[in-house]
Amino acid sequence: MKRNSRHFLLVSWVMLFYFLLYVPIVVLVLFSFNNSTTGQFTEWSLRWYRELFASPEIWQALKNSLIVAGSAVFLSLLMGTALVVASMRTHFYNVIFLFYGSLAIPEIVLTVGLLSAFSFFSIPLGLTTLIVGHTLIGLGYVVPMLYARASEIDYRLVEASLDLGASQVQTFFNITFPLLRPALLGAGLLVFIVSFDDFLIAFFCSGATEQTLPLYIFSLIRVGSVPIINALLTILLVISSLLVLLFSLLSVKRIKMAEE
Amino acid sequence: MKAKNVFFDQLSFFISVPALLWQFFFLYLPLLFIVCISFIEPTSAHLTLAHYRSLLYWPYLSVILRSFILALGNSLISLCLAYPVAYFLAVHVKRWKSILLFFMILPFWTSLLVQVYAWIFVLEPYGVINTLLIKLGFITEPLQMLNSLFAVFLGMIYCYVPFMVIPLYSTLENLDSRLLEASADLGASTIETFRRITLPLSLPGIRTGFFLVFIPSFGEFVIPALLGGGKRMYVGTLISHYFLILQDMFTGAALTVICGLVLLLSALLVYYMLTRSIALLSGKVSR
Repeated sequence: MKRNSRHFLLVSWVMLFYFLLYVPIVVLVLFSFNNSTTGQFTEWSLRWYRELFASPEIWQALKNSLIVAGSAVFLSLLMGTALVVASMRTHFYNVIFLFYGSLAIPEIVLTVGLLSAFSFFSIPLGLTTLIVGHTLIGLGYVVPMLYARASEIDYRLVEASLDLGASQVQTFFNITFPLLRPALLGAGLLVFIVSFDDFLIAFFCSGATEQTLPLYIFSLIRVGSVPIINALLTILLVISSLLVLLFSLLSVKRIKMAEE
Repeated sequence: MKAKNVFFDQLSFFISVPALLWQFFFLYLPLLFIVCISFIEPTSAHLTLAHYRSLLYWPYLSVILRSFILALGNSLISLCLAYPVAYFLAVHVKRWKSILLFFMILPFWTSLLVQVYAWIFVLEPYGVINTLLIKLGFITEPLQMLNSLFAVFLGMIYCYVPFMVIPLYSTLENLDSRLLEASADLGASTIETFRRITLPLSLPGIRTGFFLVFIPSFGEFVIPALLGGGKRMYVGTLISHYFLILQDMFTGAALTVICGLVLLLSALLVYYMLTRSIALLSGKVSR
């Protein structure tokens, strides 16, 4: 009996936890379909979605965000893969720890460091400096993730391919790359989401002229709630849940592959 | 053939260089740079401690103290909230595990701004809670819930609690259930088993979760800026104030260095105390 009541308490705690985790989000989504500017639900409407799609600033900000996230993913995957593949070959493993730095250092310190370096060397702030910052963060995810995958690869496969007369380039494209592909996809997706959602680096390092989506949202919600933001955030929420679903399916597939 | 191999050895060195240079030029060099300029007098370029001296006053120190209390409170409250949930997910859930875990990590994959805005929307003067309370007749004037310490704490805990659940879950998941059975067989009560077996063995998860929450919440900028109303400064907002509004890179750098050191020391101290208190609780240490 005592045991049962304890279990009941635990279950209700967990239910309350999930309830509180989702109440604000559900309210946010619900009120994006509300035809009113206050906290009172009046009637269903798509008014805010129409206004959202009519706003040119949002499209510009979205374009900037996509450019930055795309470039950061491309650059960090390119450089990260090169580093990990090279270190596989030369057993040059002891530099990997350098890449944990960008996760261990508080983001504000890293950002302020970047900003002061840019301003000291009078590099004009803009999308380029933002891409630099996001690529740095991206490398902090890509290198450890690829490294973890690369150290699971049986290096004899690569050696066998070379022994059987394939060139280095052929070996890379036919052996190493397919083996790394799940990790590349996972890391790329992660860097994309992190860059797309990042506010802090964008706030410091993008200058006054360029705006990304999080910066635009921040400038609007600083003064209070605007229902147009509810609509925008609902769309973002749907997109990121699809991406998380994709990401978890990828990792489930990876675990299944590892088990086989 | 041999020449070709030497060529590829060279090449594999060269292709690893960009990533290393990137990391060096945009992470380690700027950090070094911050430390250097915090000691430099801007007009004459002499070495000086003036920037540090100008920060040794109560208003600045109280900002650091407030951030420390916020980070500590956030990690401890998150730990207490998250532990039962992680325990339940790891021990009691079988079938719905992946779905429950999916819904646990979903909010933290969405932008931080989504989560903060959701609370602004719920808490603001004409937001959902106030409208509801007025309609039900509990209050006549809207409550001021935004721009307060309460709102900052609420937002921080809400945004960081999944970072506590996940590491706790993965340690508890790997807990050998035979140890718990053995303890029960040998006559220990459920609470005693928890205190002496489960809690000490989940220490690695507690530590990881603690750092995942403590370190970012010490320098947090977005949540205090949006939910705290800018009335009270925190470390993150003060640093950004120096760099962006006052355009005083030198004092800002000194502040960043001080905050980095405080963070490092307090993390070590808290880490030690955490390990120690769990050891005491589980009866490993007699004192």
